[in-house]
Amino acid sequence: MIQIKNLIKYFDGKKVLDDINLNINTGQFFTLMGGSGQGKSVFLQHIIGLLKPDKGSIYIDGQDIVPLKEKNLLEIRRNFGYLFQEGALFDYMNIYDNLALPVREHTTKDDREISILIKKALEEVELSGIEQKFPSQLSVGMRKRVGLARAIILQPKLLLCDEPTSGLDPATGYAISCLILKLCRELKTTTIVVTHDVINFFDISDCIAIIHEGRIAAIGTKDEIRKSEDELIRRFVINHPI
Amino acid sequence: MFKKYLEILGKEIIYFLHLCGRIIYFIFDCCVLILNKRIRMPQVMTQVYELGVNAFAMVTIAALATGMVLAVQAAVVLNRFGATEYIAKLVSLSLVRELGPVLTSLIFIGKSGAKISAELGAMSANEQILATRALGIDPLDFLGLSRILACIIALPILVFWCEIIGIFGGMLITVLQENISVFSFLSQTIDSIRMVDFIGGMIKTIFFSILIGVVCCFKGFNTSGGSLGVGKFTTEAVALSSILVIVANFLLTKIIINIWG
Repeated sequence: MIQIKNLIKYFDGKKVLDDINLNINTGQFFTLMGGSGQGKSVFLQHIIGLLKPDKGSIYIDGQDIVPLKEKNLLEIRRNFGYLFQEGALFDYMNIYDNLALPVREHTTKDDREISILIKKALEEVELSGIEQKFPSQLSVGMRKRVGLARAIILQPKLLLCDEPTSGLDPATGYAISCLILKLCRELKTTTIVVTHDVINFFDISDCIAIIHEGRIAAIGTKDEIRKSEDELIRRFVINHPI
Repeated sequence: MFKKYLEILGKEIIYFLHLCGRIIYFIFDCCVLILNKRIRMPQVMTQVYELGVNAFAMVTIAALATGMVLAVQAAVVLNRFGATEYIAKLVSLSLVRELGPVLTSLIFIGKSGAKISAELGAMSANEQILATRALGIDPLDFLGLSRILACIIALPILVFWCEIIGIFGGMLITVLQENISVFSFLSQTIDSIRMVDFIGGMIKTIFFSILIGVVCCFKGFNTSGGSLGVGKFTTEAVALSSILVIVANFLLTKIIINIWG
């Protein structure tokens, strides 16, 4: 379970996250929605300690990760998967080595076992047979799916996805959102998605929070959000063709 | 007005001290990794090959030309005193004690140091460094240390090569222009270079290689501002390493001369 208490973050004197309080249950598909520049990615990076808050606590399974040093955070992050907006694949490595990296670093698996894991992860994201290609030879959507394969290869307890469908055509966006949901349900992984893609993520999420100017403007199930009388929420979600 | 200037000066001093502190902390982290034996030898050797090959052609051309220029200039001056037999001494000592380490280091900064900084900078700009941390891998351990160690291995090899080629260049001019035999040039060269001269040059080289590796990696890891930032930080890495090498050369030369003469 993830518990976020009074999270505050400033960048150059500007409050980017303003007193965020959230509880995310184990195995839940949680989506944080909001427009561009509202602090979604900053929020996500705080959850695994890539950024330190100016104030507040982040408890993961009862442990506050905010006071931890980078060395300890590196160990904790081994249990997490993180999908970056652009995939963040290492462009000097082929796809095989990109996927093999976390396995080689954190496990004692031999080459044969690594090869099996990579094959399975690529099958999960429906990209079999691209092991020898380099990231520059793939489309944006394919890079995101490879990024997703890398994020799930060690079957993480927590999967974090930063704008997984941005910049994709509707069909590919839909395919990726279905894929993330499938992985969440099959692997029973707690999944946190930050996105402005209401169409693909509203209906599939167990819990939705709306962030506006660094504050949580609303939180609840899709039905609770739909019933909201708040003008901002109505503008962002209800008027959207869900 | 005066207060405003004082404020600016104060900010610059704080920034400089902050930067120094971060670089010292960065070096400390590298030392901890080395002491913990977190050295990835295959990656180090790949980097040695890439960084060494990257600067090899330029070092060769520059060394040959410098050796030849030294011989030409030495011949002009020494001819006035009828002392052309000292050309070999002048060329070889200049190269081994000073020009070899400094010239090679400056070329190495321009070719390989810039490569390190730009590569790591581009990785920072494309979130690859962040991805390394998100995967639970220390970027310094995974990407930085191998490059710093590669500098420490590659630069002395290049300096040694530079000295050989530079002396060869000087020999070409001396033999063809001054009618001094190859045997005579080589025997004078061997007689004039003491082990202390060679070791002194190599100590400076190793110190320079650490400076270059640390500064270029540090700047690469701290790149921000997208593709424009990559250019800015790479330029800063090259400029800062060059200045530090030149200043450190003076200080180290003074120390080495005071100790060994």
